[in-house]
Amino acid sequence: MSVTSESLPASSGGSPSRANLWRALGAWLTRSSVYMPLLAIGTAFVLGGVVIWVTSGSLDTVFLAYEGLLRGALFKSRGLSESLVATIPYIMLSLGIAVGFKAGLFNIGVEGQFYIGAITATWMGASLQGVPAVIHLPLTILAGAAGGALWAAIPAFLKARTGAHEVITTIMMNYIAFRLTEFLISGPFRDPNAAAVQTPRVAPNAELWSFHAIPDRLQDPLNALLVGVVFAGLAFVVARWALPRLARRYPGMGWAGAAQTLGAKAGFAFAVGALAFVLLPALTRLAWPFTDPYDRLHIGLFVALAAAVMVWWLLWKTTVGFELRMVGANPSAARYAGVSITRNILLGMSISGALAGMAGMMEVLGVSICRCLPLFFSSGYGFDAIAISLLAKNNPFGILLSSFLFGAMRNGADLMELNSGVSKYIISLLQALVLLFVAAPPIVRWLYRLRAPAGREESTAVTRGWGGQA
Amino acid sequence: MNTTRFMWRSGWITIVVVVVGLFGAWVLLNAVIGGRCDAACVVGSLSQALRLATPIAFAALCGVICERAGVVDIGIEGKMLMSAMTCYAINLFGFQVLKDSMGAEAAGSLSRLLAVGLGMLSALLLAMLHAVVSIRFKVDQIISGTVINILAIGVTGYMYRSFLAENLPAGPGTFPILNIPFLANLPVIGPILFQQKPLTYVMLILMVAVHYVLFFTPWGLRTRAVGEHPRAADTLGINVFRTRYVNVWIGGLVAGLGGAWFTLEAVDVFNPLMTNGLGFIGLAAMIFGKWNPFGALAGALIFGLGSSVTSTVSIFRPDIPSQIPQMLPYILTIIVLTGVVGRAVPPAADGQPYEK
Repeated sequence: MSVTSESLPASSGGSPSRANLWRALGAWLTRSSVYMPLLAIGTAFVLGGVVIWVTSGSLDTVFLAYEGLLRGALFKSRGLSESLVATIPYIMLSLGIAVGFKAGLFNIGVEGQFYIGAITATWMGASLQGVPAVIHLPLTILAGAAGGALWAAIPAFLKARTGAHEVITTIMMNYIAFRLTEFLISGPFRDPNAAAVQTPRVAPNAELWSFHAIPDRLQDPLNALLVGVVFAGLAFVVARWALPRLARRYPGMGWAGAAQTLGAKAGFAFAVGALAFVLLPALTRLAWPFTDPYDRLHIGLFVALAAAVMVWWLLWKTTVGFELRMVGANPSAARYAGVSITRNILLGMSISGALAGMAGMMEVLGVSICRCLPLFFSSGYGFDAIAISLLAKNNPFGILLSSFLFGAMRNGADLMELNSGVSKYIISLLQALVLLFVAAPPIVRWLYRLRAPAGREESTAVTRGWGGQA
Repeated sequence: MNTTRFMWRSGWITIVVVVVGLFGAWVLLNAVIGGRCDAACVVGSLSQALRLATPIAFAALCGVICERAGVVDIGIEGKMLMSAMTCYAINLFGFQVLKDSMGAEAAGSLSRLLAVGLGMLSALLLAMLHAVVSIRFKVDQIISGTVINILAIGVTGYMYRSFLAENLPAGPGTFPILNIPFLANLPVIGPILFQQKPLTYVMLILMVAVHYVLFFTPWGLRTRAVGEHPRAADTLGINVFRTRYVNVWIGGLVAGLGGAWFTLEAVDVFNPLMTNGLGFIGLAAMIFGKWNPFGALAGALIFGLGSSVTSTVSIFRPDIPSQIPQMLPYILTIIVLTGVVGRAVPPAADGQPYEK
């Protein structure tokens, strides 16, 4: 790789010849924030290729494997949507871990909270029947979140009360959660009518809609009402965000008044919601891009995206989030400033657990074929999620990208194995290398003999050892 | 620093916890299974407890060695997995090579020893990676440990699928039980402590050795100084980097022994992910033991005891859903942790890269 030449500074004021253009492009690239991650990912793939080459003995296998990986992840039929299906739980779980890290808590227990969220959501979804989706679906989502939050609150409570370290207690709670769900599925909560050991099916109204089913779903006016409510909520948020900015930008157009009254925002929200309620059922009937009935992509995607935005907003735009980050960054200073450590440990873990529980909820309500919880409902998402949030340095939007990277690789691995005979465990190797190189720019720079960026010291510390000492 | 008194205190806590744990387990066991566990069954359970505690104790010991020097190591799981895979492969293929030149018995012993050695080396390789990345490149140590874990899953899974999954020749099997002369015949203690497989003895000896080195030798003092206040240690002429490097490497070797337990003592097969979280439970034992070797052993024993009681219960009471007793070790650990141990304070510089 001739990266070294690209890292030279651009010569100023030369004639716009081809060489100078390349050099300018290179200089721009090396300064941009995606440069090091891209280089890291590229390096990881090259090294992974070397491993495949050495163990299989042929260079063709490497290309065959990566071609299969790419095609499986993106281009085969339903490839992209299956990648997104795998991305959704990754987003939720790594958001959960990131919230924990930001509050100085190392929540290894997301896997257990995932299971508990799955089982509470299944219970809520299956025990109510015939309730309209506009009530049932939010209730089921809440049940999943509450299950995860409660399960995470136990270690938080123990930490706040007795100082028991959350790393131990969450690991233990993981195993307890596995056994507990196994017990519930095979015993008290088993579906007596099913041949397989599984819970009863959740009510159709509690399912997360698959994309291909949206036009049908919207024919029910109550479902359309749900969508209308969601759109109204979104519109309200947008109005709240946009109106003050418009008022500042174009004063004297009546914006200022509108920005301050609730009525204008509510009216706008109501209008958008009503429009969605009236128009969307008809519009989706007319034209809808998702027609494949085997496509498993579901509206949990929107829930995950909304969760990322909300986590960002909570952590960086609210007092609650500020206190959480304060406790995470420096518990002594936080206590000195009058911030309750106990409250923030409980809150941080509960939010973290709620996000993880919602991931479990979505796997049942949106992905599981039987729309129920089967006995061996293993996910293996939990530990990947630690890597993802570390990869994204706990940034919610970075988590969206790195979750997609991991989801796509997880999904593409099957076709890669089928195509080239290369075991799909190579994916773990690649992920480890990506994480290593992204987390350690000095290693990448050392590999390519790059100079350290002047003036800007990259901080790689995203965790605080064993978490905050409360 | 009042080392001696500290040591005695932690020693007493350990003894009390172990005794109370043993007694409690015995009472619980008999209550649940209606007194059907006779003396031999109790001794058998305790012996099994020690056996099951071995890998956890190794993991915890690795953690103690690294973290006393200020390097957080959550990659123990990965190192153990790596070593388990290497041990299995070396044991299997070493035996095929050796058995022609010597008897099957001797070839088995030799290949097992070779396997332990190379297994430890494979774990050492990962430890060296962890050391370089977290000490030289100053990467966040939790990230580095996570990298080690995922890397080990990838490498072992890949090797397993490529070379170890099918068409395997017969291997020499696991270590046989090693009876210690005279001691093995003692009435109760004998079967529990002195009729074990070799790695269990190694673990017990290592516990004492590490405790001695950590608290009674210059090296131990330096290690603890580097873990508590590296700047001060540096000022006094201790090489912080070298101390950390060596401790992480030694920790890797110990974790390698723990990995060897899985394929050379427990079972004669390798499965991807066979360490099944025991490395993390070892970390729990380490924190439980407040970063002391004997405390860590106590934590591992409690967990081992919980597991062995679980299997005893499921033998005598098949009517109880197996998941309920299976939760027991984990619940027991949480209760003991919150009720007995309380707040655990890690070495002050644990997890912080040192900038000279």
